[in-house]
Amino acid sequence: MPTNHEDIKPVLVPPLNFSLVEDTIYRSGFPMPINYPFLNTLKLKTIIYLGDLGHEKKEKKKDKHGTGEIMQNYQDWLNTTDITFHNLLVESSQEPFNKREEHEQTIKSLTIALQLMLNKENFPMLIHSNKGKHRTGLVVGLMRKLLQGWCLSGIFEEYEKFAMGKSEYDLELIELWQPELYVDDTNKPEFVRI
Amino acid sequence: MVNYTDDPFQMDEEIPEYYSGNDVSPRSKSPSYIPESKASSQNSLLQEITPRYSEILNHKLQQDNNLIRSRIEQLKMEEEGVNTTTTEEEEDAPKYEEDIDDKLDVNLQKKLQLEYEKTMDMDQPLTPPENFAPIINTIYRSSFPQPNNFSFIKTLKLKSILCLIPEEYPQLHTEFLSHENIKLFQLGMSGNKEPFVKISSDLITEAIRIVLNPENQPILIHCNRGKHRTGCLVGVIRRLQNWSLTIIFDEYRKFAAPKERPMDQQFIELYDDTEAIKYCQQYNLLPLKWDN
Repeated sequence: MPTNHEDIKPVLVPPLNFSLVEDTIYRSGFPMPINYPFLNTLKLKTIIYLGDLGHEKKEKKKDKHGTGEIMQNYQDWLNTTDITFHNLLVESSQEPFNKREEHEQTIKSLTIALQLMLNKENFPMLIHSNKGKHRTGLVVGLMRKLLQGWCLSGIFEEYEKFAMGKSEYDLELIELWQPELYVDDTNKPEFVRI
Repeated sequence: MVNYTDDPFQMDEEIPEYYSGNDVSPRSKSPSYIPESKASSQNSLLQEITPRYSEILNHKLQQDNNLIRSRIEQLKMEEEGVNTTTTEEEEDAPKYEEDIDDKLDVNLQKKLQLEYEKTMDMDQPLTPPENFAPIINTIYRSSFPQPNNFSFIKTLKLKSILCLIPEEYPQLHTEFLSHENIKLFQLGMSGNKEPFVKISSDLITEAIRIVLNPENQPILIHCNRGKHRTGCLVGVIRRLQNWSLTIIFDEYRKFAAPKERPMDQQFIELYDDTEAIKYCQQYNLLPLKWDN
């Protein structure tokens, strides 16, 4: 079954929910060691991580899923590259929306993320969360709307493709949030329409 | 027609008719025929728009047939339709003509939103076709684009489109493509009708040759829903990228949902990529580039 082609090169395994968003912007779930060879082929300059690893609120007694080690592996791999790593905590949006601090943290992280995406010096860029569904979908959705001017139905279709039925409350935020962003024309990526 | 142009006693209200007469063969029509001083903005707009829209074209063709039959008949038509028989009404007549053009224009906007986006490009939200996504570099996938996706497709600055359905490409779309200077490749393949009709390996190989040729990029691949045929082709591209099958199938299923076909996935797995790889190696395309 293996052809010559497959004999020569090892199989590349992209991370969960990996996809191309725009030229040299990628999205995915949390990269695991099996994905590192694949990520190396992307020649990334920047990684934006939106999840909660590395932001544990209190010391856990037991690291049930071994997330500490996974994060450590990841950090070790990042150190072997020249990638700038941004660890931006986005709280997964859940009702009730009465945790003001969490919300403010989220808004702050999202603004930084969008600001990073407005500078093509940061590309190639990977945006990832844990599963690559909701938080990543949220940022990509905001990018589609605020930076590219897509209509909401197109944005939601794309969001749904990755979230697969668990849309939570991100769509509301995509529709309603209007941040102030600073656009520097010299480094503005070509896909941006503002 | 020539008599018309040379006629020194040409009345103002005849001008629009004269133009529409010329519109019969829009490709050969040259704007230099138009006396600039007499051409209103509406008329020149009409000239611009007309060649692209079949309906108007037919309308003009019909008008012209009448013109050719005899000028008297045409004048009669004016009497009925334009109501410009008496000299007293001469001054009002051009206004009426403008109204007709306005109506056409409005219809066009409603139907196609094509002319509008030239001026409103920055304000209108873009509507991507269903199942649209970039695949790699400037290769894109989608379902069959609809007219309301045209403004979005413009932003991709496509050089070509690869259409994977056997049906004839609609005229409206061909006109859009020729206007945007987009080359159309069509490989009519029927989808996997399990378990009997299978996707043709040869056609997929041919498609690979078209899609991976840098001269054709940026390129948009589409079939009807952008699920199965396009999904198979993308799966094969992923194999050329040496992705693991698990992840290839995961991507296939995302786009095919909720109609994932096991036979499509089997096709992706069993497709013999020898020819495709040979082609890639011949033009030094491997590993496929993520960016330029």
